[in-house]
Amino acid sequence: MKVEQLSLDELRVLLAGQGLRVKMGPFNLSVQTRLPSLIHQLHQMYAHYSLADEDEIVEFHVRVIPKRSIRQPFARLIRFEVDGRSPFPPVSVEQALATLEWGVNLVIAMRINHLLLFHSAAVERNGHVLLLPAWPGSGKTTLSAMLMHRGYRLFSDEFGLMAPEIGDFFPLPRLMPLKNQSIKIIRDYLPEAILGPEIPGTLKGTVAHIRPPQESIERVDEAAQPRWIVFPKWVAGAALRLESLPQSEAFLLLATNAFNYEVLGETAFDAVTRLVRSCECRKLVYSDFDSALAALDELTDG
Amino acid sequence: MAEFKVDTRLDHHQLLLEAIIRPAVLIDYSNSQWELLLRVARRAKLLGYLAAWLEKDGLLDKIPQRAVNLLRSSLIQVKKQQQSVNWELSRILWALDGREILIIVLKGMAYQLQDLPNAAGRIFADLDLLVSKEALGQIESVLSEKGWQHHALTNYDERYYREWSHEIPALVHPERGVEVDVHHTLSSPLGNLKIDPLPFQEAAIKVEDEGVYVLSPEDMLLHCAVNLFQNNELADDLRHLLDFHEILQFFSQQQLSFQEKLINRANRLGLGRPLFYSLYFSRLLLHSSVPDQLKKRLNHQPGWLALRIMHNCVPLALLPQHPDQPSKRAELARLLLYLRSHWLRMPLYRLLPHLIYKFYLSVFPGKSARARRNG
Amino acid sequence: MNSWYSSHFSSLYIENWDGEFTVFQPESGKTHFLNEMGLHILTILDGSPLRLNTICQELSVHFSLQPDTQFFGKIAQTLQRYEALGLIERVKENE
Repeated sequence: MKVEQLSLDELRVLLAGQGLRVKMGPFNLSVQTRLPSLIHQLHQMYAHYSLADEDEIVEFHVRVIPKRSIRQPFARLIRFEVDGRSPFPPVSVEQALATLEWGVNLVIAMRINHLLLFHSAAVERNGHVLLLPAWPGSGKTTLSAMLMHRGYRLFSDEFGLMAPEIGDFFPLPRLMPLKNQSIKIIRDYLPEAILGPEIPGTLKGTVAHIRPPQESIERVDEAAQPRWIVFPKWVAGAALRLESLPQSEAFLLLATNAFNYEVLGETAFDAVTRLVRSCECRKLVYSDFDSALAALDELTDG
Repeated sequence: MAEFKVDTRLDHHQLLLEAIIRPAVLIDYSNSQWELLLRVARRAKLLGYLAAWLEKDGLLDKIPQRAVNLLRSSLIQVKKQQQSVNWELSRILWALDGREILIIVLKGMAYQLQDLPNAAGRIFADLDLLVSKEALGQIESVLSEKGWQHHALTNYDERYYREWSHEIPALVHPERGVEVDVHHTLSSPLGNLKIDPLPFQEAAIKVEDEGVYVLSPEDMLLHCAVNLFQNNELADDLRHLLDFHEILQFFSQQQLSFQEKLINRANRLGLGRPLFYSLYFSRLLLHSSVPDQLKKRLNHQPGWLALRIMHNCVPLALLPQHPDQPSKRAELARLLLYLRSHWLRMPLYRLLPHLIYKFYLSVFPGKSARARRNG
Repeated sequence: MNSWYSSHFSSLYIENWDGEFTVFQPESGKTHFLNEMGLHILTILDGSPLRLNTICQELSVHFSLQPDTQFFGKIAQTLQRYEALGLIERVKENE
């Protein structure tokens, strides 16, 4: 059963009551809220997610609830809670969706160590995973949004989830937060993309979420092996360059950017070594999306 | 001695206590029981403890996969923390470069050094050391020279630490981030319970091959008891009672008449009260085996009324709240114990301004950041 | 005079990436990134303790360098850093 098969009323009953329990990649998530605006947004944005099986354990329990503040008695604020505790200060009610999504990412990053968590976008083509690690100015969310509308299967725009012993990557398709100018870029490039409301004034500026395609969510149980690691960098006016990157540099960038490399210790050292040795490592400098996509198509054709 | 009846305990408390007392029951937990247990155990910081126990007994493949993933995730994190603190200790000994300073390792790291049964899977992020008052300045200056730094504190906090608490502000090496707390006493010098650290230092035991000391078994338990019932607010602190229980069971099995020695030591050091409460509650909640007539020999037992109040409040504070339905009664119990702990540590003329200042900061957190910048 | 030796060399995990090295130190759980000379220092200190002079001599022969005072200073710094990281240990000798 999928969220889209629920009427708005049925969804409201779940969210306001025992919680909406959905399957989110390898995890299950329970969301509770009574905020009408958020319920509407989730009805649209979570449409493709499946409900978790009746008797399955849910790993993460989150809530978005109204919050009164002594300092700002008239502001309409909300608070994000996980297991009854809030990791962030309250934000305005308009930012509920963005806070929910960031909050869930935070909980995954804080609690999961049986998988190695790279800070990276990941997509799949021809049965293999292409990693697009995050670094400042990588534009990984925008780039993976484009790739997923050009036949690539979205794994995640935020997490490369790797089983360290076997090297498999797992999909975790979640809402993808486009920031500032990227919102217009995606609206122009991909009129077919489903976007949530534009949310101004967040810590990262204006944010609008893009909903992952149905196919990515339906094939969420299909893991794949990695084959390409491309470090993207968007530079205004730059000519396209896709050049090979020394493996030592790839190791350094992946390890220092991973959420739990240090925590996993020796396991992570071995896993990143094997990952880098088994992949083609490239650096991509681009300004124009069409040529960047063409270059990535060519790389992943084989 | 007559013990009060335990009030009908909440389901989530029972799930957790059962799991701790008889971990073998875990293989019969349903998925929905697991889901609640995982949340409650995380709150009590006992996920790693449960995971270590299940791993040791080879039961991890007999429980649901999603539970295994979360348990393993916690255990991996805990092992990393243990390694970090262990490494921090080795770096401190390196920095001291053979200087003759008697260092007693306390709490989590001490349990690990002796491989006590409560050490496996036990969360701890800080390194706690006890040194003599004279050595305090020397350690502080050597570590500062080698790159450790004090946490940025407001002037207010710094004064609170140095004058009214029993610690210097924590030292942290910026490359590693592990907090090092160097103590020169085991309890606040201003509290109504004076603890002379000297007998603890004299009875300390050298750890083989490590160049450091740990407290003797009796003193380790007394320190644990003092921390629980003297220095602490008890909220979500079941894990420290579990430390007490496990260490007590361990040495009781190792040494004949260990518990008698413990009682004598407590009486000699004037620590009968916190030991009484620790024995009382570890027996009540964790089923420690402590003979009745033994406890009777403790001095400084609480009166009937005090015990009645503690009996009603302490379990509600020690045991975690239900993550979705926090109980108002437990909140009240926790508030009372919070006030009690500060009452015990500070004279009232100091305590009230301190609590008011802390409350003010919780409402206007921006102010503390400003104070820090100006400080 | 001080001399140094790599105390736990055999416990290190070393991966070679065309002359650059990732070194995992199990005791601390840290990963270090070293160049060829950085690793060579660890290698020659595996076994018996060596003094700064001897270390610099070995390095200058191996990498065909002219050792000057600057080079000595650099190596002395590296040794101090390695010592702080727990990669090597210092042995105090009687003058």
